[in-house]
Amino acid sequence: QVWDSFGRVLYNSQPHEYPITSLAWALDGELFAVGSFDTLRLCDKTGWSYALEKPSTGSIFAISWSIDGTQLAGACGNGQVIFAHVVEQCWEWKNFQITLIKRRTMKVHNVINDAVDLLEFRDRVIKASLNYGYLVVSTSLQCYVFSTKNWNTPLIFDLKEGTVSLILQAERHFLLVDGGGLYLYSYEGRLISSPKYPSMRADILNAQTVSLSNDTLAVKDKADEKVIYIFEALSGKPLGDGKPLTHKTEIVEIALDQKGLTSERKIAFIDKNRDLFITSVKRFGKEQKIVKIGTMVQSLAWNDTSNILCGIQDSRFTVWYYPNTVYVDKDLLPKTLYEKDASEFGKTPQIVSFAGNGITVRRADGSLVHLHVSPYPAVLHDYVSSSRWEDGVRLCRFVKDQTLWACLAAMAVANKDMTTAEIAYAAIGEIDKVQFINSIKDLPSKESRLAHMLLFSGNTQEAETLLLQSGLVYQAIQVNINLYNWERALDLAVKHRTHVDTVLAYRQKFLEDFGKKETNGRFLQYAEGVSV
Amino acid sequence: AMAQAALGAAGLHFDELNKLRVLEPEVAAQTVQLREECRAFVDKTAEFQRIVGSLIELVDQLAKAAESEKMKAIGARNLLKSIAKQREAQEQQLQALIAEKKMQLERYRIEYETLCKTEADQNEFIDQFIFQK
Repeated sequence: QVWDSFGRVLYNSQPHEYPITSLAWALDGELFAVGSFDTLRLCDKTGWSYALEKPSTGSIFAISWSIDGTQLAGACGNGQVIFAHVVEQCWEWKNFQITLIKRRTMKVHNVINDAVDLLEFRDRVIKASLNYGYLVVSTSLQCYVFSTKNWNTPLIFDLKEGTVSLILQAERHFLLVDGGGLYLYSYEGRLISSPKYPSMRADILNAQTVSLSNDTLAVKDKADEKVIYIFEALSGKPLGDGKPLTHKTEIVEIALDQKGLTSERKIAFIDKNRDLFITSVKRFGKEQKIVKIGTMVQSLAWNDTSNILCGIQDSRFTVWYYPNTVYVDKDLLPKTLYEKDASEFGKTPQIVSFAGNGITVRRADGSLVHLHVSPYPAVLHDYVSSSRWEDGVRLCRFVKDQTLWACLAAMAVANKDMTTAEIAYAAIGEIDKVQFINSIKDLPSKESRLAHMLLFSGNTQEAETLLLQSGLVYQAIQVNINLYNWERALDLAVKHRTHVDTVLAYRQKFLEDFGKKETNGRFLQYAEGVSV
Repeated sequence: AMAQAALGAAGLHFDELNKLRVLEPEVAAQTVQLREECRAFVDKTAEFQRIVGSLIELVDQLAKAAESEKMKAIGARNLLKSIAKQREAQEQQLQALIAEKKMQLERYRIEYETLCKTEADQNEFIDQFIFQK
């Protein structure tokens, strides 16, 4: 049986013929081995069995793994010691399937033209990763980088310390994690940077606690699990002012989005209560709020070609086509989602990959399930990043899907293209927003238009600051009055010595409408001074 | 005759050959005869013992042969029983391996089904596209 840290049973195996005499976890926590009479079984961390061997050695009483996680030794009832090596690991990406057939040999199968290549290594293969057109393999002494276009000429460089525990890839570089630290290499083999943070324990990082994208590296701290350290990938220095991202509860999994501009890089994370949050990676100036976008989330993954996020929420499979919506127009978020029932995925599904339109999920029994999502949002992301607004509108008109229109609306507002926003909002029937946008278009100055657009996204503070900066004091006051921020309105009016009477007038009307009496001291004081 | 009696009283006798003998001639002859007969008896007994000895040896060898055959028979019977158990154990092992393979098959089948569905959906999508265009 396998339990999680809360004590809930995650997996129950079928009964074996003989009692189980030994069990050992591999050091990276991904696999464990079970020994019984004449039996050795290799299992995944979620419980399902990878392989079963029947050596005739009597009961296996003790199992121990090697540090690199590739070999194990077992003490057997007949006095022998048995050594086992993990083979036949499989990596898949697009049209390539790579299998480790022997300890030092890999077979590459290109399914399009059925070509098979054999890759030989000098030493035992420890870890490998296949993504973005590159295969990165670490052996006990060296690291090999192969391009999928040419398997014959790998780049080889020596590793300082033997045991690489994790390889993470991004489009332009990859990360090696070994006992000594984190090392970022380019695909040409050049060491780019080696980020460090206080009390770093590099041996206990795994794919859920580290995330890499083209310009940023994020690592969850082990000492304080509420903290995420964010580094600039190319320099290895902490991003912005150096303060890490702190959350109020412990964090379980983190993921950076892969595409888009560095200034808009977002990080999504799941905390211990299984809530999903998203925030910007920028650490200077005003921090962006951490916004919750999901609950009971078990697994998540960003797409590799556009900033679409998918996750499994409880028993629903959800795709957030434009997660940035929360910073633009919170009400639109539910309209930009795609949800599908996920009960066919079983109890504890894990998302394995999200590439192109295809999502691969591994169920609790070990089987892989594939599904796909609509390709249109990715196309829309593409149009928007090159500011092809008319193409975006045409696409939405062609597809006639409300979700797509909602995404376009949010993207348009984020990029301040109000014409497209107006069309998009009209298409999804949000009349009030259309009216507001129309009124923005009629405003005289650029700053006031900008300020009102900020208001539209809910950034009242920024809007007010902008108006004050551009000298539109009356508008700033009016904004506060419209939001019933009486104190603030009065403060501004007094500070700029203008329109105090306007504020008072609105305040009085408000009180009359609601049949209340003036109780605020300051207003009473000013009301005496000025009569309306 | 008196001489004979006088000799006889002294314990001496004359025999036919007129030799002086300590024993009476008849007794002497009988003693010799007894001696001869005893000798023959002893020889015969020794002969008998020899024959019986060889018979015993023969029978012993036969006993050993019978013993070893019995052991072989018991051993063969045990082997038969153990083979039966071994076969059972082998069968169990193979069953376990079969179960394992079945699970793998199930996993792959599920994956295959979802892939088929994906393929069907995508074909449908392509058709829709072409049709709409």
